[in-house]
Amino acid sequence: MDFLRRTANPWSQDILIGVAWDLLWAALFAGILFVVVHALYVAVMAPVPEKTDRPIANVPEKIERHSGASRSFHWLMALSMLVLLVTAFFPLVGIQFAWVTIHWVAGLVLTLLIIYHIWDTTVRKDWRTIWIGKKEIRQAIQSAGQFLRRKPAKEGRTGKYPLDQRAYHNATTLVSVGAIITGLLMTFRIDTWFWTSNPYFLSDTTWGLVFILHGLCGVALITLVIAHVYFAIRPEKRWMTRSMIKGWITREEYLEHYDPEQWKIGDGEPAHSESHGLEEMSDVPPSDPGAVAPA
Amino acid sequence: MAVIRDMIPSFQLFQPTSVDEAIDVLDRRDNTWVLAGGLDSIDWFKDRIKRPDAVVELTGIAELKGIHMSGDALWIGAATTLHEVATNENVRTKFGLLAQAAEDVATPQIRNQGTLGGNLIQDTRCWYYRGGWPCYRAGGNICYAGTPRSMNREHCVTGSSRCVAVNGSDTATALIALGAQMVVRSSSGERTYDAEEFFIGPAIDIERMTVLEPGDILTHVRIPGDWGGARFYWEKARDRKSWDWALVSVAASIFESDGVIQRARISVNGVAPYPLRLTEVEDLIQGMPADDDTGIAAGELATRGFRPLRHNDFKVPLTRSLVRRAVRGDAV
Amino acid sequence: MALIGQDISPPDLVAKVTGRAKYAEDFRAEGMVFAKLLLSPMPHARVRKIDVSRALAMEGVLGILRADEVPQADAPGESALTDEPKYVGEPILAVAAITETIAADAIEAIDIDLEPLPFTIDPLASLAPGGPNARLEGNTLTFGERGRELKSVKWTSSDFESLSEGRLPMGEPTDEWSHGDLDSAFDDADHVVEDTIIHQSLTHHPMEPRSSMAYWDNGKCYLYASTQSTQRAHAGTANQLDLDPSDLVFVGQYCGGGFGSKIAGSPINSITALLAKKIQRPVMLRITRYEENYIGRGRPGFQSWVRMGFRKDGKITAIDLYIIQDHGPYGRSGDYNTAGAITDLMYQPDAMRFRGITIYTNTPPRAAMRGPGGAQIVAMLEPLVDKAARELGIDRLAIRRMNVPDSDSRFGPNRGQLTGAFVREAIDAGADKFGWAEKSQLSGQRNGTKVTGVGIGVSPYVGGSSGFDGLLVIRPDGKLYIHHGIGNLGTHSMADCGRAAADVLGLEWEDCQVIWGDTSQNLPYSSVQAGSQTAHAHTRANHAAGLDLKQKLQEIAAATLGGSANSYRTSRGRVSGPGGSISFAQAAQRAIELGGKYSGEVLPDDINQVTTASATALSGQGVMGVAKDNFSHDGSTYSWVIGFAVVELDVETGDVQIVDYTGSADCGVVLHPRSLGAQIHGGSVQGFGQARSQKWVLDPKWGVPFSHRLYTARPPGILDVPLKMEWAAAGVPDPENPVGIKGIGEPPVGAGSAAVTSAIADALGGKCLCRTPLTTDVILAELQGRQPPHQLTEIHI
Repeated sequence: MDFLRRTANPWSQDILIGVAWDLLWAALFAGILFVVVHALYVAVMAPVPEKTDRPIANVPEKIERHSGASRSFHWLMALSMLVLLVTAFFPLVGIQFAWVTIHWVAGLVLTLLIIYHIWDTTVRKDWRTIWIGKKEIRQAIQSAGQFLRRKPAKEGRTGKYPLDQRAYHNATTLVSVGAIITGLLMTFRIDTWFWTSNPYFLSDTTWGLVFILHGLCGVALITLVIAHVYFAIRPEKRWMTRSMIKGWITREEYLEHYDPEQWKIGDGEPAHSESHGLEEMSDVPPSDPGAVAPA
Repeated sequence: MAVIRDMIPSFQLFQPTSVDEAIDVLDRRDNTWVLAGGLDSIDWFKDRIKRPDAVVELTGIAELKGIHMSGDALWIGAATTLHEVATNENVRTKFGLLAQAAEDVATPQIRNQGTLGGNLIQDTRCWYYRGGWPCYRAGGNICYAGTPRSMNREHCVTGSSRCVAVNGSDTATALIALGAQMVVRSSSGERTYDAEEFFIGPAIDIERMTVLEPGDILTHVRIPGDWGGARFYWEKARDRKSWDWALVSVAASIFESDGVIQRARISVNGVAPYPLRLTEVEDLIQGMPADDDTGIAAGELATRGFRPLRHNDFKVPLTRSLVRRAVRGDAV
Repeated sequence: MALIGQDISPPDLVAKVTGRAKYAEDFRAEGMVFAKLLLSPMPHARVRKIDVSRALAMEGVLGILRADEVPQADAPGESALTDEPKYVGEPILAVAAITETIAADAIEAIDIDLEPLPFTIDPLASLAPGGPNARLEGNTLTFGERGRELKSVKWTSSDFESLSEGRLPMGEPTDEWSHGDLDSAFDDADHVVEDTIIHQSLTHHPMEPRSSMAYWDNGKCYLYASTQSTQRAHAGTANQLDLDPSDLVFVGQYCGGGFGSKIAGSPINSITALLAKKIQRPVMLRITRYEENYIGRGRPGFQSWVRMGFRKDGKITAIDLYIIQDHGPYGRSGDYNTAGAITDLMYQPDAMRFRGITIYTNTPPRAAMRGPGGAQIVAMLEPLVDKAARELGIDRLAIRRMNVPDSDSRFGPNRGQLTGAFVREAIDAGADKFGWAEKSQLSGQRNGTKVTGVGIGVSPYVGGSSGFDGLLVIRPDGKLYIHHGIGNLGTHSMADCGRAAADVLGLEWEDCQVIWGDTSQNLPYSSVQAGSQTAHAHTRANHAAGLDLKQKLQEIAAATLGGSANSYRTSRGRVSGPGGSISFAQAAQRAIELGGKYSGEVLPDDINQVTTASATALSGQGVMGVAKDNFSHDGSTYSWVIGFAVVELDVETGDVQIVDYTGSADCGVVLHPRSLGAQIHGGSVQGFGQARSQKWVLDPKWGVPFSHRLYTARPPGILDVPLKMEWAAAGVPDPENPVGIKGIGEPPVGAGSAAVTSAIADALGGKCLCRTPLTTDVILAELQGRQPPHQLTEIHI
């Protein structure tokens, strides 16, 4: 199988024009394979985390995990991503419709959402909560070791966003930003409401790379989205999914999944966290600094 | 790989005598091509740009030929020659619009060889695409005709989506204005499309001009009696009076009563990647007098939203003029 | 009755209409194989690497010919194959295989790596500061003190500032001449017109592409090719192949048109010959229409500017003309210089300045095309003369009659003189036939959406050369064998010119046999069949040879029957005099017995060595007439065609239909009326295409042409030709040709084109769009007040 599509330009020079769309099937397959393997693993082999009792302290009954704004943001983003994937790949599998305008408009929406998100997390909030730092790497090594020894995790609890969510977030960020930057460049090749197309804006070779990157990011997103949806519907993760719909988690869920040292809920105050974006994507300190003790 | 043109590579030729046999070959074989008069196909073959392994020739299939009335509808086999269409008595007397359009195709030699079906489903003549350039329509990711430096005098002014090629069929323009239907057969059965739905633009599928997919054969064109005997208008603007595609063509069927337009169907071609039915214009002129003022208004409306490319601004006033004349009902 | 002036059926007619005529592509030879060409996909490139191993390994592939195996011409000359292609479609190599399909498949199996080089398709882009050159050595060719020199000329950015004022940039020219005092001549003018004018480049489009077949036998090359001029193509090709002329047999009996693109041998012919030599098999190279559009030559386009001064009465006082010529990548085309001289000739201004420069471009090579230089400039300038006439309130026919030259006029940088000019007579004959008095009244008439325009185009061109040889033999069968080295271009001149000899001898046409088109048939030294030379040059040469033959017949009769030679007359195949008469057949037999000069064993000293060789080979076969044309030829021979056209222009669509046309010639004595009509009409139709539709289109980013198919190049079709076409001729004999004939092939193109550009301007109320072709889009933009579809100086659109 060729991974890339090549052609001869008008001067009979060999040029790259994009990824082979067989990769679409490869990505679908990879996504499904992951789901199947993970599901089997959980069902058959996964160690059951120890339950430990913890002091209830002053934790309220419902703790806000995602504010209304951040939930709207997530779902808008999810919607635009879905639209992008459908408009990109359905025509390739034979479902023909006028997809171009929908695709680039959805791409533009996604771009604006992400710009907002970047601004929000870097200027208004602390982007480090989703970053994978030394601590997270240590945790990763630790849990990998536990996994390899097939030992139950002694410390199953994390900060607001656990490592797998952070990793997923960052991978998705990378791929989405790749798709968006290349996608924005590609709008120079179509007529939009703002300009008429100019495919000679970049050279053949550069365009080839742009198309390849866009294609790779596109098919990678298929796999990532499959994984994401899969986790969202897994029974043990449904509390998280609910929190992205309704905004809160229960005190029990908080105590079970989180390390109060890493995600502190203020004494006597309702948990008042603010988040924005895909639930896995961000982790920030509460917006009211007075509500929490310094980390 | 070096490029060479004007030399047909070898292929396997099938000459079935029935549509079912033809479809059978198309279903059994990969990389097939349906050949009728060959005026579009041979160009592609000799330039080695389209390289089918198996070619299915339709001109030996009797059921695809001929013209007959059924009730007040006219049936034309897709493999009927353009010459026959242009000279057939029923076509001339009842649906003269089609006869005129068919007669304006290319040259007598080509009309004797070319078929109605072939004229309808012909591929675009965009010279970048025809030159074998790896554009969108050829499976690439660029439109060479749509750049700010391109030579796009003969390209589209509306309806483009990345690709700016135009549809080159004259009979398509006429058949839309006659409210015709296209009958398509494949191994999964027979489908019928209204003429204007038969043609698709690049927004839907950038590599096809019509709804036809591999394994499909256009078998017949059916012209219902609805527009028989209407006042017809046909005009094809072109650089040469023969052997030339339309810069813009217009076809109109109009029923008038006391100089007032009762109902109308108008289409233009050469302006979009597909022949364009002007439904808004049809609505506008209904109930209006068939005069120059109505024509001017119709022309204005027809060209609203046209976005010319670097070299084809003239298609805006040209389309305006042709629609104006069609509505006005100039003597042809 | 003399044969000259009568309609005859040319000897090739039956073969042509029955399909028996063999064109180059129809020949076959034992073991013949086919060749195909690999053409450059880039407008300018250098071969980095070519891997032919896969192609050579294919079954049926016999060999490949590369550029280093064909003679390489010095810059700016053109070679048959090159490793530095300078236009898209230039042949890089040729493959021979047992079938054409295998040869084509083999081309596809060749891996070629080309390094793109800078290229230009627009002379002005090359002249701009920092602009690209079409050739590595520069962008123009000059003739300076150091002789021929390739140079890179760049103008300054201030030279280009005039563009914003809507005027052609005019920097330092390479060519300049003038006569008279230009400033004072403009001061004398009451009215001045000035404009930037663009003329397109276009392809010759002969119906027969330049196919050829060659084989070698015993060290001798036999080449079957399409040419306008057999003997001269033979000499040229022998030279190209570095062969002694006696080692080359050139066969080209029929030529499906050339229009200047096949004057002598095409460079491509040597590929066939050399490939045949290399693989030791006969090789056929069939050139396709697509290839013909690349290698088949083209007419140079002009980007130009003119200012013309007129006195109140219409007399032209001054002309200032600047032409930038779009040259293609090779050689030296003189169209722009010719255009300057012709401008001076046809308008006879008191003072004129010509400035010009020719710029190499990476577009197909140019060559003379029917009326080279003249056909362009008359179509460009005639609408401006109309404009002045309209503004001065002078009849357009009158302003032309006033300014055209007569037999005493002089012209051009060297103030050359003419053999004679009877332009006013031709204008009057044409105006009469056309009905100018009534038709000019139709100007501006509106019928529905159509406006009528009436136009005139006066078009001169060179109409003859001299100094060639005639070679005739009367054999014992009593027939006159007329040996012709000119080609068979379809003009009938290879037959018609022989009639000058028949008339001298008083022979019927049935008793004449024309030998042509095969150099093994002993052909005399001849003119190239180009520049309308043959009708003039070879009626003279045959007249000279006829007189020689007649003298010999008279002497033979006198020697046989007694009496003085001068007292014998030749008529109807007999020589008769006081001693009785003998038939030509008897005289031929007698000549063989007498030998010496009578049968060609002793030849004149002044004939060309080609003729000497042919005459020697023919000696002893009958009575021979052989002579060089030594008649006086004082002045340049120019012929004229004046075109009159009526067009109907649709103001709503910009569509133009030519509805009526008359072409009237000053071509001396009418040699062959039907053929003259065909020349005038055929050439004019080419002119219609030039004025209306025919063009080159190239993508500016890639330098690739799209007008390489007939349907995209758009030469006129039959429905673009008016139903009513007439012709007329002044019929005044040329004083410098003993039979009074001038050539007529060239000028009709300019006449047809100019009559139409003039008529379209007339239909537009006198507005000169100053650009060809005048397509619907150009006209419609003007009519509707929209942006024109082109920039001011844009070409190839």
